[in-house]
Amino acid sequence: MSTVEHGRTAASPDFSGDLFVTGADWETVEDAVGDNVITVNMGPQHPSTHGVLRLILQLEGETVLSVQPIIGYLHTGIEKNAEFRTWVQGVTFFTRMDYLAPLFNELAYCLAVERLLGIEAPERAQTVRVILTEFNRIASHLVWLATGGMELGAISMMIYGFRERERILDLFESQTGLRMNHAYIRPGGLAADVTDDFIERCESLLQVLPDKMGEYEDLLLKNPIWLERTKGVGILTTEDARNFGVTGPLARAAGLAFDLRKAQPYCGIDQFDFDVPTESAGDSYARFLVRLEEMRQSLRIIRQALDVLPDGPTMVADPHIRWPAQLALGPDGLGNSPEYIRHIMGESMEALINHFKLVTQGFTVPVGQVYEAVESPRGELGYAVVSDGTNRPYRVHVRDPSFVNLQATDHMAGGHTVSDVIAVVASLDPVMGGVDR
Amino acid sequence: MRDLEAIERAVQERFPDVASDIARGELTLFAAPEQVVDLLRFCRDDAALACDYLADLGGVHWPAGEHVLERQPSTTGWPEYRVSRERGVVEINYILRSTSRNHWFRVSVATDDEDARLPSVTSLWATADFLEREAYDFFGVRFEGHPNLLRILMPDDWVGHPHRKDYPLGGVDVTYHNEKFIPPPDERDLRREVADR
Repeated sequence: MSTVEHGRTAASPDFSGDLFVTGADWETVEDAVGDNVITVNMGPQHPSTHGVLRLILQLEGETVLSVQPIIGYLHTGIEKNAEFRTWVQGVTFFTRMDYLAPLFNELAYCLAVERLLGIEAPERAQTVRVILTEFNRIASHLVWLATGGMELGAISMMIYGFRERERILDLFESQTGLRMNHAYIRPGGLAADVTDDFIERCESLLQVLPDKMGEYEDLLLKNPIWLERTKGVGILTTEDARNFGVTGPLARAAGLAFDLRKAQPYCGIDQFDFDVPTESAGDSYARFLVRLEEMRQSLRIIRQALDVLPDGPTMVADPHIRWPAQLALGPDGLGNSPEYIRHIMGESMEALINHFKLVTQGFTVPVGQVYEAVESPRGELGYAVVSDGTNRPYRVHVRDPSFVNLQATDHMAGGHTVSDVIAVVASLDPVMGGVDR
Repeated sequence: MRDLEAIERAVQERFPDVASDIARGELTLFAAPEQVVDLLRFCRDDAALACDYLADLGGVHWPAGEHVLERQPSTTGWPEYRVSRERGVVEINYILRSTSRNHWFRVSVATDDEDARLPSVTSLWATADFLEREAYDFFGVRFEGHPNLLRILMPDDWVGHPHRKDYPLGGVDVTYHNEKFIPPPDERDLRREVADR
């Protein structure tokens, strides 16, 4: 029922009667070996595909004719699940989408909910959000550098990248209780205030990281293998970026100086002085340079944010919105503080009722819809949130940058060799948790 | 930086029957299905709008009839939310972004949920490819003219479109009031269950 044309199943969907749905399954590829064209199935279990990404390659000899990405292996229905949870519980779900940038997911969702509620988080919470998300950007780029380096043969880069990321995760753990999936940014502010040694911990990181970034540069910038594998590979022009909707470091490496932190600043990030690095080559090497410079710019933002970190509350005062418990950091993450448990269990019946109602039912959010986007490490991370006035989201649609960027794979890898497909996917930096949601 | 009224005027000058709404600092234009391609092309090519990015495309299902949106046990005193609609629609929201003018706005198109069809905009932006496939997968909207309209996130042989509000969530009814009993996995046949309803 289908023929192969440049790697795509040319079958049009059958809309008559019951929905008959077919996929880009292996069975529909009629001739795996044609005259000169070979169809190769790469993935979904492949060490270089960042999780479970499957690529169907059409090859003529070593040359790639087309790449068809097949996704959905990690689909867990987070958007649907969120419709059956309260607004606050949504944070716990969305943080698990793009697991290398959990704080960005929380931030974008919370900004959307806050705009629906018509509230704004206190200044201290905003600044802490900026500090932590910028550290998160560095951590995410470090994983990209580590895994991307490993895939292209720079094995030692993997060890260094993960080593420094570990320090950032230690900071997250000390503040949120968890290394990933923090659920720390909540509608209205933060789950808990930062610890007393927060600034010290950040400072010590700020002292370590710039030197380390110099090490990565020494390791890769003039490494002939690295240059050979990345220069001129996977070129994406500005026009292509617009057409494919590609955002983030990929678009900036193609010369499009667009950054949502500058264009639509959130959490007061516009008060800090930083540059948006761009390159004009648009190849994998340009993306490497852009990401490297972005990490330095993130450090600049953190430096300034630490200097102006204001005092004050980290959650809105409205008792109908703020989480009633005073959370405390325990060995297994954030939990109710012992004093608070004593208060609601032993002292005040009303406090217990209030706690119970707010925790089980949450708060209602006015009718309406918003679209809120932040600049995640991979590009525009957008949350289109619809409320019907109840205590649960009516619909949350997530515009995940990896999902959109992945469409450009075919364009970027076509004409290159099979080994370049690895370099292209590595430079895309897709996170399948975000792609499949 | 962003002048939503100016965008609104520019579009309505060309498409007078497009309704609009500005709420929470966001502009939404409500277009009819047959004009959506023309409208989006205008937004992309017009020098003042210059929407070079299709930032997002997502669906929302608003079913017809009366629905209890939220049911809580009667002891909590929490109200029941009911909503009633004449026509069931799937709403597709296009988020258009201009990087040169630094603005964005939403174009909202409603299509009948019984026979959800919209023209594809893959010819305007390649971005729409995956996003339309996702909307088809989740809401059953058939984007006419899409080159490869197949399921993208759900398994290929899945029955039904899970983000529609009338999509059953699984489990079988038991005699207890308001309760569901989830059978053990080897006794489950949820797909047939869904197809039979």
